[in-house]
Amino acid sequence: MKEIIAVVRMNKVSVTKKALIEVGAAGFTATKVVGRGKLVEDKSIIAERRKTLLALAQKDDQTTEKMITEFLDGTRLFPRRMFNILAHDEDVVKIISAIIKANKTEYKVGDGKIFVLPALDAVRVRTKESGDAAI
Amino acid sequence: MIMIKAIVRPDKKEVVLNELSKAGFHAATVIDVVGRGKQKGITFGDILYDEIPKSLIMLAVKDGDKEDVLDVILQHAKTSENGAFGDGKVIISPIDEVYTVSSGVAEL
Repeated sequence: MKEIIAVVRMNKVSVTKKALIEVGAAGFTATKVVGRGKLVEDKSIIAERRKTLLALAQKDDQTTEKMITEFLDGTRLFPRRMFNILAHDEDVVKIISAIIKANKTEYKVGDGKIFVLPALDAVRVRTKESGDAAI
Repeated sequence: MIMIKAIVRPDKKEVVLNELSKAGFHAATVIDVVGRGKQKGITFGDILYDEIPKSLIMLAVKDGDKEDVLDVILQHAKTSENGAFGDGKVIISPIDEVYTVSSGVAEL
């Protein structure tokens, strides 16, 4: 039994949910979280994101520019959605590829992380079933 | 690879995150949580407060970095020289695999 923790973009929640149903792992717990990733070394990716974000903002004031700069230099925490999914060992690979497929964007950064942790046991409260039957 | 979950006071969150970043551990996920510890919460008069707000800082690091990260958290999440009840806990668990979605590669 494994616990899959996936941190994804807020606007990718519905496609992730859809992808999980398609892959047969409908159950999950989701939490609103904030976080940051490792610092991006490739300056050109950052410059490109900065340009797109500034264009999206449609405003040319200093506050917006400062916010976008802070967003990209790693001082700010980004809002993200964290999914906790319990899975049978043999389903882990296909769930992960489904999440990756649903969440990949062309931005190259900020698409999220997926962690696979070992889970010792699970118990279904209603029936007291435990182990793999509880998933 | 290991997952370090640190439950710290909300007002220490910023300090711990900054120090972690300085120590080279920039990536982290932060969740606002409520909970109680061994002291069963805090009692003021007749009222027991057992849902005390804390921040949970989650980060995945290589096995060898465990001590460095622990040092930073334990040093900066403390409220005084001796520490005080409610300063928090650090929980460490194993991670089997990590994937970065942008690249689809199985690494941090």
